[in-house]
Formats: sequence, C-alpha cells, structure tokens
Amino acid sequence: MKTLKIWMLALVMTGFATVGFAANGKKGDEVKFKTSAVCGMCKATIEKGLAYEKGVEKAVLDVDSKIVTVTYDAKKTSPEKLKKAVNELGYDADDSPATPRAYDRLDECCKKDSAH
Amino acid sequence: MYSTNYRVFWTMVFLGLCLPFLSVAQSLSGRVLDATSSSPLIGATVTWLGTTQATSTDATGYFQLKAAPSGESSLLVTYIGYKSDTIQVQGRSNLVIKLQSSGSLKEVTVTAKQDRYNAMTPTNSQVITAMDLTKSACCNLAESFETNASVEVSTSDAVSGAKQIQMLGLDGSYTLMTTDNVPALRGLATPYRLNYLSGTYIEAIDIIKGTGSVLNGYESISGQVNVRLRDPEKSDRLYVNLYGNSFAKWDANVNASATLTPKLSTILMLHTDQMANRIDGNDDGFLDLPLGKHYNVFNKWKYNTGKQWVAELGLQALRETRTGGQVGYRSGMPQVEGSFYGTESETDRYSAYSKTSYTFKNRPYQSLGLILSGSHHAFDSNYGARTYNGRQNSGLANLIFQSAFGNTAHTYKTGLSYQLEDYQEELAGKDYTRKEQVPGAFFEYIYQNSTNLTLVGGVRADHHNLYGWVYTPRFNVKYDFTPNTILRLAAGKGFRVANPIAENVASLISNREFVLKDNLAPEKAWNLGGSFTQYFEVGARKGAFITDYYYTSFQNQVVPDMYSSPYQVVFSNLDGRSFSKSFQAELQYELTEMLDVKAAYKYFDVRTTYNDQLLQRPFIPNHRAFLNLGFATPFDKWRADLTAQWFGPRPVPDMEGGHLNGGNSPDGIIKTRTVSPYAVFNGQVTRAFKKWEVYLGGENLLNYKQKNPIIAADRPFSQNFDASMVWAPITGRLIYAGMRFTIK
Repeated sequence: MKTLKIWMLALVMTGFATVGFAANGKKGDEVKFKTSAVCGMCKATIEKGLAYEKGVEKAVLDVDSKIVTVTYDAKKTSPEKLKKAVNELGYDADDSPATPRAYDRLDECCKKDSAH
Repeated sequence: MYSTNYRVFWTMVFLGLCLPFLSVAQSLSGRVLDATSSSPLIGATVTWLGTTQATSTDATGYFQLKAAPSGESSLLVTYIGYKSDTIQVQGRSNLVIKLQSSGSLKEVTVTAKQDRYNAMTPTNSQVITAMDLTKSACCNLAESFETNASVEVSTSDAVSGAKQIQMLGLDGSYTLMTTDNVPALRGLATPYRLNYLSGTYIEAIDIIKGTGSVLNGYESISGQVNVRLRDPEKSDRLYVNLYGNSFAKWDANVNASATLTPKLSTILMLHTDQMANRIDGNDDGFLDLPLGKHYNVFNKWKYNTGKQWVAELGLQALRETRTGGQVGYRSGMPQVEGSFYGTESETDRYSAYSKTSYTFKNRPYQSLGLILSGSHHAFDSNYGARTYNGRQNSGLANLIFQSAFGNTAHTYKTGLSYQLEDYQEELAGKDYTRKEQVPGAFFEYIYQNSTNLTLVGGVRADHHNLYGWVYTPRFNVKYDFTPNTILRLAAGKGFRVANPIAENVASLISNREFVLKDNLAPEKAWNLGGSFTQYFEVGARKGAFITDYYYTSFQNQVVPDMYSSPYQVVFSNLDGRSFSKSFQAELQYELTEMLDVKAAYKYFDVRTTYNDQLLQRPFIPNHRAFLNLGFATPFDKWRADLTAQWFGPRPVPDMEGGHLNGGNSPDGIIKTRTVSPYAVFNGQVTRAFKKWEVYLGGENLLNYKQKNPIIAADRPFSQNFDASMVWAPITGRLIYAGMRFTIK
C-alpha cells in the first residue's frame, strides 16, 4: 500500500513538473501553415490536436486568416511532422491535403466543402 | 417557422425515438446556407431568441456566438429574402442552418455534440457524458454514477458484491432502465444488472427524475436511467481499456467499429473481468468480494440511408460466474455444519433489439417507429444449502407514430405495445411461475409555445392478463420564467409487478425463511414533484443551482419484512402507508478555468408500514452530502477528480438483539438502532497523450469499513447467520490503475 502511495505521489509530481516546464515558455522554433479551417470549432480541434503532438509548445489558429502558428521544439519534431499532424486532424496544411478519413469524421460545419 | 420545429422533431426521432434530450450549448458555432443551393448566406443575422445577443455570418456563411445567458436554447436566424427560422439548439454547439428563400419549403439540419447541463427537456434530466464516465473507475454501470449526486449506488449484502442503485430514496427496481431508450434488464436480471453493461459500452447516461413519459411503459416510478450505447457511426475505430486494482481484479475492454458501406456501420464491444484473489480484509472468515469471471459481447449495427429510413440492431450475450462465501469454500463442497459456507451463481443472458424508423417524405415532423426486443435470461445459484434458479423470456414490441396537429406547437405521439414476460423461478424446491401478456395503447400530447412553456400529457391503457386493466396517466410542465430560471412540475402514476425473490437476493444470504404471501398484488404508486433550476454567472464563470422535491406515495407495495421476525423474510402487500419524500439541492460552479465544483445536499424521508408500524425504512439515511471537485489542465492533458460522499446517521434493524432474544421482542415493537455517519472519498488522476491515457485512482481512500458486517459469521449454518445487514463499505481502500488506447 505504501509503495502505491509513493507511486501515486511520484506520478502527480511528474505531472506538475511537466506542466511547469511547458508553462516556462522556452522560446522554440515557429512555423505557420495555411489550413482549411473554417470556423471556431475547427480552431478548438486543431489547437487541441496539436497540443498533444510531441514537441509542440503552443499552437494558435487565427480563424480569419486560417493560419495556424505552431511553436515547437526542433529537437523533438519537424515542420513535416506537424503538417502531417494537421492533415490527420482532417485539415489541409499548405499544399498537403487532409487525410480523407479524418476529414469525413469532422463535424459537418467544419468541412471546407460543405458550402458547395 | 413551423417546419423548423418539424425538423427538430424529426431529429429527435432519428436519434432514438423520444424524450431524453439534454443540455445547453456552452458556445455555439455554425453556418447558414441556402437550402436549395447550399451556398453560404453572407450577413445573415443569428440571435439568441429573446435577447439582444446576436452576430452575423461572415463571407463564407460562418458565425460564432457566445453561449447566451446560460439556459437560452432557441436561435432566431434571419436573412433578407429568406424565411426567418427559429432553431432549438438542444445542446448542440455546432449547427448547419439552411434557410429557404421566401416562398418555398424550409429545411434545417442540426448536427453536433452534446454538453452536460440541460435546459430543454420537460422532465428533470441530467446527463453523465462520456467524459464524466472516465472520471470514476472504468468498469461497469455501477461505477458510472459515482460522480453524480442524483443516483446512489449501494452494496446490497456482504457476500455477493451486488450493487443496487437508488433514486429518490427508493430501491433501483422502481427506476426504469433503458438502453438506447428500449426497456432493458428487467425482472430477474435486476439484482446484478449494473454489471451487465460495461462502462466502455456507454456513450452517455440520461437520468430522469420522476415518472417521465408513458412511451416506455407503465413501470417507472422514481425515474428513468437511459444508457446510450456507443453509436457505430461515430465511434472510434479501436478503443482498448485495461484496468487492474489492488484486490487483483482485472478488467479488459475492446471496442472496434467499422463503416462497411456509407450507409452501414457496426461496432463490436467486448468486455471481460476476472477476480481470482481471495480477500478477507476484516478477518471474519468470509470473502469480502466473490471470485468471478464475466464475459460480455455486444454488437450493434446501424443502417442509415440519410433519408427516410434508419434502422438499428443490437445483440448481446453474456456469461457470468461467481463464487463467494467463506475463505475455505471451494466449488461443490457440501453445505452442512462442519463444512464451509459458500454461494455460487452462474448466469447466461442473450438479448437482441431492433429499432426501425421511417420519416414521411416532405413531412419531417411525421414518423413511424418500431421497436422490437427480446431476451433470454437464465441463472442457477445457491446460497449455502438453498438453491435459487430462474429463467425469464421476454418480448416487447412498441409501435410509435408521431405527428402534429396543424402546426408543431401541438405534436403528439401515439402507439401500440405488446409485452410478454415468462418467468420460471425455483426457490428451495418450490416453483414460482408467472406469464404476463400485456397489450397496450398510449397517447402523448405535447404543447410547446415558441417562448417558455411546454406541456406534456400522456396516458396509457394496458390490459394485463393477470391483473386486468392498468391506466397510467402522466403529466409534465416546464415553464421558463426567464431563460435562466426554469420550473418543472411532474405528476404521474406507475405500476409494476414485483419480483420479490430476485429483488431481495441479498436476503438469501442468511438462513431466513422466505415467506411469500399468496395474494401478492402489483405495486402502484403516485409520484408528484418538481424542480427549480437557476443558471447564473458570477465573475464571468458559469454555474447552476438545481433543487427538487419529489413525493412518492404507494397505493400498494410488496413489502419485504425482515424486521418482525429474525428468522423470516415475509413478503406481503402493503397494509397502511408507504411513502418517500426526497429533497435535493445541488450547486454546480466553475471555480476557475481549470476547477469545477459540484456540491449537493439531500434529504430523504422514506417510511413504510411494517406490522402496523409506520417506520423509517431501514438503511436509508435522512441526510446526505456530496462534493465533487474536477480539475483539468488546458486540453484535458491532466485531469484529477475528488468525490466525497457523506452519509448521515441511519436506522438499521437491531437484529443482534432480536437474535439473542430468540425472536421478536415480546411487546411486538420492532427494535432499531442508529448507526453513525461516515464519509467515503474517491479520487482519480488521468494523464492523456495523443492516443493513450493512463489513470490512477482510489476508492474509499479513508479506508472506512463496517465492523462485523456479517452476523454470526463464525456459525454460517446456524439460524442467526445474516449477511444482508450492510450499511457501509465492507471492502477497504482500493487502489487501481489502468490505461486507455484509442485509434480514431
């Protein structure tokens, strides 16, 4: 039982350490993609999706310009990987098209074609 | 204006025939299109109905609107040259609104996700979302209610590990349970039914307090719990959950879904749990939890033409074995003095249901739905020397037609139903059989004005082959004083045929004799009540205050009297009064962006007449308190939850006294004693990664246990032995850990 407690504590501590590190805002590299995002809902999807990518420190989508700005750690990821991550969320990133299956699963209002 | 509402009703049918539709959007986005060409409408105005909060669509038809003073649920969409439209948001945060140019038919398609709190339904409803389900341990429906204040889960005895839900202070058998709005797990399945649906099968749970709608039959008295199973169309391709705890109980779940053709999709859900570790934490010689193996398969199919037809098919099979009793007991040992006491059970259950709905062309408000379901439930069990076996075959057909009178302010649902229940039970060599055939008809009228009033009046008439005509009237009113201040009232009648043995399996784990009086009649009760909901905003953070009161009065009840004699359980019709008064006040508030708080206080006054004495129902505390703290970092990467439940003092029958005296007290007065209050704490921490989640949690963190839950544990074959006097946890602190893996 005692070991378990220690484990639990260790896990929680690791957690805070991770959060703390992320919040330190170490200045990383920055990359911008033009996406096929269409609404505020897409903003949430893209920002959340990218937040879970390895090496991503921050991702912000500007809905009007459809440009997502990603701050990342170049040791852990690359613009190519990030582009692919955007595609797998169902969105185009610059010239690289969305993964069809991911695109199909988007909510109707988030689809770039829903107007045509 | 009207066909918008038609579309809303159409959607409701589409999504599962009827009521539980819940919640308010937190923030809303969507787009406005021309209905015929689907081209975006630029500059259309979108307003929260009755407010000045509005926005207009951008160059691509998109709009974004902050959640209105919470509670607001109707949108007004206007555009020059087009017909204005009112849209019921119904918890969706994301809409596609198609406006019809003046002169032609309109259409609106509503698609999106669901949030938690509900301002829409005429009944007092709450939703436990998929996210809430991950807050408590993984395993089955019983754990799903842990972070909810309205439903209590209690352990029924100190041997079998069975759990029961309670609502309004009443036993779970008075709550109608449905899966995807089809009545399920009734009759003999009741004692262990919370184990029969794995937590990973569940998309969300709707909890409705009060008698509810007449569409699902006459049975619900205290409320309805509707379990929405995963939707094959929207589920992840693969979902795996593995769980293990400090008692060495293991759980594994796998869900796999596939879209076979654009119209046809399926999901296969597998679950198993295994408990092979003998634990006796309180050293009474009895296992705290039974050993067991459980295998459960659920397969769901959905055929959706996207036009008029939608069909759904669900198939389930499960097998469960349990062995409990004294630590030294091994399967098959003779049940006599000098040996070890044991309990065993083996359950096999097969069930299937189908739902088909057809929406009339050009009449989106009009539809016809057919629900068919059937199940076979079989178990063999023994408790010491006593055997209890049962078989139940059930069939249900429900045909529902819905349409409107003139316009969609006046809609109705009507239909026919047929229910067949074939019970065979055998207890200690005595047979009990019962065959019920119940054809019925029902009608429900719904009036909804465009602003703030909803009335639902329903009535059904059923002809029961054993008990004659049964009439069930039910009535619900919802009135919004302001979009943030909502009053609901409900009144209705419920009727059910009790299954006294199955519903009191816990008492079998004693050496009491079961005495069933010959003339047991169906249970009938009136339930009256209402709720008041106030949504508010303090410091730009949202909150809700919900308070409700329900009064349930039984006209007849099958009363299990364990209190007049220590050596018997006597089942007889209610002679005198039996009622439950339940009050609850709950506050939900977002304390900071990352911290959510839910606090509730509950008061129950539940009394039944036993042997001419109106007594407080044993084991039910008058006062309870509930506190849930939910913490989540941005994007839910880290989540932590802590739930505390406090149970006030409560009466329990003073069996020790009775046993020692060798019977009832000489003056015929039933003795009770009061047990002290206690609190239980549960907590969990989850870390999410891209495809993984790991969680670590604990139940009963303060390790509170009832001392000596089993009376005469050292003499299980003596007359005094009784394991059913349980009022607090019997297992101590439990630590668990697990992981989830998802491929979207």
